[in-house]
Amino acid sequence: MLRDITLGQYYPGNSVIHRLDPRVKIIGTMVYIVALFVVHTFVGFAISFVALAAVIAVSKVPVKFILRGLKPIFFIILFTFVLNMFMYSGEVLVKIGFLQITKEGLYTAFFMATRLILLIIGSSLLTLATRPMSLTDGIESLLKPFSKIGLPAHELAMMMTIALRFIPTLLEETDKIMKAQQARGADFETGNIFKRAKHLIPILIPLFISAFRIAQDMAMAMEARCYRGGDNRTRMNVMKYSKIDGVACVILALFVGAAILERILI
Amino acid sequence: MSIQARNITHIYSEGLPHESVALFDISFEIDDGEFVGIIGHTGSGKSTLLQHLNGLLKPKSGQIVVGGVDITAGKVSMIDIRRRTGLVFQYPEYQLFEESVAKDVAFGPQNLGLPPEEIESRVEEALQLVGLDYNEFKDKSPFDLSGGEKRKVAIAGVIAMKPEVLILDEPTAGLDPKAHRDILSMIENIHDHEKNITILVTHKMDDVARLADKILVMEDGRLVMNGTPEEIFSQKEALSGMGLSIPEPTELIIDCRECGMDLPADVLTIDQAEEALVAVLAK
Amino acid sequence: MKKHQTRFWIQAALIAAIYATLTILLGSIGYGPVQFRIAEALTVLPALTPAAIPGLFAGCMIANILGPYGMIDMILGGGATLLAAILSYRLRKHPALVPLPPILVNGVVIGAMLYYVYAVPMSLWACMGAVSLGQLVSCYIIGYPLLKILGHYEKIFQ
Repeated sequence: MLRDITLGQYYPGNSVIHRLDPRVKIIGTMVYIVALFVVHTFVGFAISFVALAAVIAVSKVPVKFILRGLKPIFFIILFTFVLNMFMYSGEVLVKIGFLQITKEGLYTAFFMATRLILLIIGSSLLTLATRPMSLTDGIESLLKPFSKIGLPAHELAMMMTIALRFIPTLLEETDKIMKAQQARGADFETGNIFKRAKHLIPILIPLFISAFRIAQDMAMAMEARCYRGGDNRTRMNVMKYSKIDGVACVILALFVGAAILERILI
Repeated sequence: MSIQARNITHIYSEGLPHESVALFDISFEIDDGEFVGIIGHTGSGKSTLLQHLNGLLKPKSGQIVVGGVDITAGKVSMIDIRRRTGLVFQYPEYQLFEESVAKDVAFGPQNLGLPPEEIESRVEEALQLVGLDYNEFKDKSPFDLSGGEKRKVAIAGVIAMKPEVLILDEPTAGLDPKAHRDILSMIENIHDHEKNITILVTHKMDDVARLADKILVMEDGRLVMNGTPEEIFSQKEALSGMGLSIPEPTELIIDCRECGMDLPADVLTIDQAEEALVAVLAK
Repeated sequence: MKKHQTRFWIQAALIAAIYATLTILLGSIGYGPVQFRIAEALTVLPALTPAAIPGLFAGCMIANILGPYGMIDMILGGGATLLAAILSYRLRKHPALVPLPPILVNGVVIGAMLYYVYAVPMSLWACMGAVSLGQLVSCYIIGYPLLKILGHYEKIFQ
């Protein structure tokens, strides 16, 4: 089972989007999300959609992968859509028994669903076109100014890097532990929620013990190589802004402008 | 109780880019009470095969019949399979989790739905079989034990389920020579006591030469040899082509024969080697 | 960095990794606003070690980087987890109360997120209630026994 999980969302590539500085991408995504809440008509969504489609095209990530990102929340979207459709009062269009679909309900349903879809696709594009390590570097850099007020930006980033490195290891460990307990008759698949929850303890305890053993060994190994924390530490891959980042920022600014105009004028 | 495996094929990650064939058309038979050794280079598919035997994995095609029950058929209950086949993984001490040794060993029997008195007597019996004194160990925390003791507790946890087939994947991995001998004689003991089928996966040729009735040799997901220890270990070149060695006593006697000594060709154990050498040197 | 500080951050990293691993592997059972997120059982950990505070925060962020839910979940979910972790840490002397902050904080924050962002058309209170219910199962039914058992193995957290 575990061999079939592709870890993370990253889709390897060398497009312009892939090569953008991660900080630009993170801030760009945040701006895009805010814009989705600033605009308030379908015109605004159309502008966002065009922008999104352009970025997807440039990134060369196959649409198939993009749509995969929608799968897990498909039910939430459906749920939202259907309930919104029935729950608004107003001009009645269709009546089925005691349920009624109103014009307002239909509009709201489409509006909310569209925004949600644009939101999720936009966010997942960030992780599709950026390596996890690159993202943590970007986050560390963006949080650095906050270290003046005591936020341990370097330590947080290091922690995330180490965690990312260990997730495949822990996945394997968990697989082994699950199989060993299954061989002793533990059942994680059938039964009600309480029974299954109880059978998680034989997985969690050994997992913790393994994980903390690894943590101890690793701390010793790092200290043996003179690790002393983040002050004055240099790095191998230095993040640098380049021309494409400048262009991206300009385009981003234009998009924001369009969104604000939509809000004011329409 | 016997096992028949017919044309088992298993594919990992089917349909995805990193699809790979793990087992290819494997067939063999194991008879009641046999002690079977499975040897093969790392990556030959041994662990995959073991997991098929107790239902953790289902083959893409093929059939496995354990004790007359086809475990690859659709509607077989997992608990029933696990009742018959016990699998001890490598480094089994990593599966310990309970607050006391007794509780941990009881985990398996509890999952089988046995009544409390039965569970307690099985726990006691299992601990005795692995050489741990019940009264001394039952209330100790598993995490306060030594590595060798932890491993014994883990093995006891599987034996307590009284499986008709006991499978052990490299049970002596990471142990020093004394602990190794300890565990091995324990396995021999259990096999004699329970009269079950024991399947041992190992890299130690000396051990299978001494204990096994039959040896299965795997390479690249295929079963390449199937026979008695005499048959298997007389094929030194074929084995070394697969990165496998032969038992040390056998190696020694072969070297002696090459020096011209008149010794029998089918020596497998230290005792047999000693006998043969004594006979020759006495002349 | 002093010796025990490196250990602290690495422990935090491993807690983050476990949280993310469990989220990936076991995910959540259920759909829509009522979800049992198994990994949330780990929110009892701050009672055992303060390294769990940044650990859970990072774990939440990573689970969102590796998973599909996106930036809003990352920031709001992460923030809620962080706040809950700090409160749980403060309550560590009262084990029965430790699962309470993750239930309430997540209930409020995630509930509000579902209402405003995801436009789930139930009342705000219903959204919060639904999330709290899901959290209740994970945090008390899985988390509380976990806390009791791991409490026996204090030494691994030192």
